[in-house]
Amino acid sequence: MTDVTSNRLADLTAVSAQLRADRAVRAKRAAMLKHVFLIAASFVMIYPLLWMVASSLKPNNEIFGQLGLIPSDPQWSNYTSGWNALPVSFTNFFWNSAVVTVLSVIGNVISCSFAAYAFARLEFSGKTIWFALMMMTLMIPYHVVLIPQYLTFLQLGWVNTYLPLVVPRFLASDAFFIFLMIQFFRQLPRELDEAAMIDGCSPFKIYWAIILPLSLPAMTTAAIFSFIWTWEDFLGPLVYLNDIKDYTVPLALRMFLSQDSVSEFGQMFAMSVLSILPIILFFVIFQRFIIRGIAMSGMK
Amino acid sequence: MTGMSIRSKLRRSWPGYVFLTPWLIGFFLLSIFPILASLYLAFTDYDAVNAPVWVGFENFQYMFEFDYRFWQSLKVTFLFVILSVPAKLIFALIVAMLLDKGIRAVGWYRALFYLPSILGGSIAVAILWRQLFNADGVINSALAVFGIQGPYWLSDPNYSLYTLVVLAIWQFGSPMLIFLAGLRAIPQDLYEAAEIDAATPSRKFFAITVPMLAPVIFFNLVLQMIEAFKSFSGAFIISGGTGAPLDSLLFFTVYLFNEAFSYFRMGYASALGWVLLVIIAAFTAIAFWTSKYWVHYENERG
Amino acid sequence: MSTFNRRKFLGTAAAAAGSAAILSATGTSAFAQDRRIRHFWWGNPERDKRTFEVIRLFNEKNPGIVVAGETLGSADYFTRLTTQIAGRNMADAIQMGYGVMFEYINRGAILPLDEYIGKSLDISQIDESALSAGRVDGKLYALSIGANSHVSLYNTRLFDAAGISFDPFGWTYDDLKRVAGEVTKATGVFGTDDNTADYQNFSDYVHQRGERLFDDEGNFGASAETIADYFAIWADLRAAGATPPGQVSAGLVGAELSNWGIVTGQTAISYAWSNQMVGVQNLMQDKVGAAMFPNTPEMIPGSIIQPSQFICLSRDTVDAEAATTYMSAFVNDPEMTAVLGLERGIPANAQVRAALQPKLTEIEATSVAFFDGIQGKTMNLAPPPPSGAQEIEAMFERVAVAVLLDQAPIPDVANQIRREAEGIRRRAR
Repeated sequence: MTDVTSNRLADLTAVSAQLRADRAVRAKRAAMLKHVFLIAASFVMIYPLLWMVASSLKPNNEIFGQLGLIPSDPQWSNYTSGWNALPVSFTNFFWNSAVVTVLSVIGNVISCSFAAYAFARLEFSGKTIWFALMMMTLMIPYHVVLIPQYLTFLQLGWVNTYLPLVVPRFLASDAFFIFLMIQFFRQLPRELDEAAMIDGCSPFKIYWAIILPLSLPAMTTAAIFSFIWTWEDFLGPLVYLNDIKDYTVPLALRMFLSQDSVSEFGQMFAMSVLSILPIILFFVIFQRFIIRGIAMSGMK
Repeated sequence: MTGMSIRSKLRRSWPGYVFLTPWLIGFFLLSIFPILASLYLAFTDYDAVNAPVWVGFENFQYMFEFDYRFWQSLKVTFLFVILSVPAKLIFALIVAMLLDKGIRAVGWYRALFYLPSILGGSIAVAILWRQLFNADGVINSALAVFGIQGPYWLSDPNYSLYTLVVLAIWQFGSPMLIFLAGLRAIPQDLYEAAEIDAATPSRKFFAITVPMLAPVIFFNLVLQMIEAFKSFSGAFIISGGTGAPLDSLLFFTVYLFNEAFSYFRMGYASALGWVLLVIIAAFTAIAFWTSKYWVHYENERG
Repeated sequence: MSTFNRRKFLGTAAAAAGSAAILSATGTSAFAQDRRIRHFWWGNPERDKRTFEVIRLFNEKNPGIVVAGETLGSADYFTRLTTQIAGRNMADAIQMGYGVMFEYINRGAILPLDEYIGKSLDISQIDESALSAGRVDGKLYALSIGANSHVSLYNTRLFDAAGISFDPFGWTYDDLKRVAGEVTKATGVFGTDDNTADYQNFSDYVHQRGERLFDDEGNFGASAETIADYFAIWADLRAAGATPPGQVSAGLVGAELSNWGIVTGQTAISYAWSNQMVGVQNLMQDKVGAAMFPNTPEMIPGSIIQPSQFICLSRDTVDAEAATTYMSAFVNDPEMTAVLGLERGIPANAQVRAALQPKLTEIEATSVAFFDGIQGKTMNLAPPPPSGAQEIEAMFERVAVAVLLDQAPIPDVANQIRREAEGIRRRAR
């Protein structure tokens, strides 16, 4: 190593130190601005939740007459009475929702990543046609296939069970997730597969040991969506579950409202607040897995 | 010769089909019958009570020649797609980029920004929306502080659709999250290299972020477009299920739902559904065709 | 282990928590040889509890028959029902509303009850008016489970503050203009909701004018003149400042009762079905009063007493005899009807009404007093509405909004309504 190069190295270090310092100042200022913007925007985002919580503490005759958020006399009892307001308790509904949702998330992530891997990284004849058909299932308006779908499940003897809600998830029925994963899988460098192939890895090994671990952000995103959408789905449970004991939370919530008699709004809001807690919890826990793909940039 | 090529094709294809098996089973067991059945019903008079009666193209003829509400629903839906999709995507991308870097407590921010999308499905929020946008609701009360007299957001047909567009943009959580995941997949060393080249932020955005994010942008564009064409809940809830006032919120699927489930015209509704399917498919095909020019995938680079 | 089948495993992850009463009410404890029937209704927490209790009582009293209850909110009821009809999988006994029920009868989704009368079905104590409401072409299709009528609900505090006096069972639209004006002046609250686009009020007015909503052939019978006059009444009130601005009212057409003027405190009068009284009172702090809909000076009756809800036998019933036994008990059995109370409306069985009298809440008593007051002042029930009537109602409420928003002259809107009604009828045939 000569002096010239070491000098240049020293120069470079100095320059980059200066750059880093500049960046720090700029970053601080930008961060401040960002914070102000984000806090203001946050209020717009959180207002509905505040309103829901406020309404859940009001008696029925105060929810619609007044606009103010603060209840005159907080009715914590809306939570206890709401929990048992329906002929079956909410313990049931939450448990049912949990069973359906957890199974659906597992089913979606496994089966959709299978299909996505095939579409994104493997060559096979007829691929274009299958892909087009898959996209078509995404485009058809749901209400048009509702009745034929019901007839199918009726034929199978699955109506009034959780099977119509869960089994399709294990058969990659939701093209949204397949397409989402395809887009992420296609981003991974091709050299990965090639190198692995030369090392004698089977496609299954590549899927399991390379593609899946490198796609953690996409998998997490899919799991989060899958959780939220299944948890909130009511059209499926509405059509397929007859027995009130089997109802999921969203279906139960809709039972509070009545057009021709007493609607228990306070209790409905209380249970609505509780019903979104699992979603927020799931989100906050799992969103941290949407991380940078360190391994990947190292491999390039 | 042919035998050889078939065998080699098979050898090449079988891993793909193995991975596709769950989807294929689902498609043939659960999806294909409902799709074909709805296509058949589009050519029938079917009230869901009695057996369908074949009527040929009558449903489509009525739709195109006589049904002015069909055209109205198309107009409303196209306007909604054009207004809401680009705005929602841009907004989602901006927020995702803000959240991507350098902020502590970012997990909570993310949850906050996702909140409207979580709440969007709740019946409680449907009630809130009406309260917010009422003539003397929270929004107009806030505007009044600044001396602005707000319009009748939901009951004036000149404003109702725009109000719904705003609500749609407000629920930007899912494209935001997908953008965020996409941003996280961009190798950080590209930015570091650009930093040393003293690239401006806008240069970094257009030279690194956009091309690297293109597959995800494409995904969000296609999916948001499809979702917007099929958009149902918001308009259904806010208009009390009817598309009121004066059909200004008559989204295509709201019209379709009423034809099918309120007025015993499942056959006609199926015809409507297939027209929408064709429209969506055409736009999606266009999007895929243009994507050749602006979306490049890692594993397809020479 | 043989009983631990797939259905139990996947279907009832829930069995842990339900009370024994509910379990038996939803049919879990049935024996194989039991005759099993299903009852499907739309409800709310209160109605659901009462109905499951009724089912429990019935199952207890009728060994050998097991009724399973199925319930949903009214917003979702018909979506599931339509799906089940298509799948030929309806419950045995289903709840129906006046109006839409005739569409289902015309199409053959509901079975006549005549062959069970005097056997499994007892109708001897049921009011003739309630029975005739469930008849089509001389056949009985439905049992009323609660009578209903149109009612003007007013805020008694505001009326007292303005010193209003009026005859709640014989007031005219001129009285309404006076009353609403006085309330507005004295309290600053708008006197009344704007009913321009309210089909129920409109249909009363058509009959008050001596016309019919539908003639014998099922043609739309309201003349353009009558439609225009109806709009003019409300246009006057609006111009006088006795209603909220048209643009506000346009947003409230067909709104759920939580949005009504009387509930939000924006107006002093809202218009309802009488079985909605309890629900409105529940959302309000001021006391609610009840009056008939206003009339013309000629006082031709326009309101009707009609069943709000029916219980019907579906074409998919697996055991019509068991189902009709249950339906019969639902409207006659003293214990069961005592549990149901007035929750679905005024019962059609005179003995049941008498038995309920002493146990009424204040607002229920108001509604019963209202019913007593309107006796003899209502018109006979018109023949069942023709196919397409539901759609015409929705069309009216959609098109009439143009008047509220001042987007078209009244005569034009009146003519459009007649044209559209004719189109709908043609398509429905």
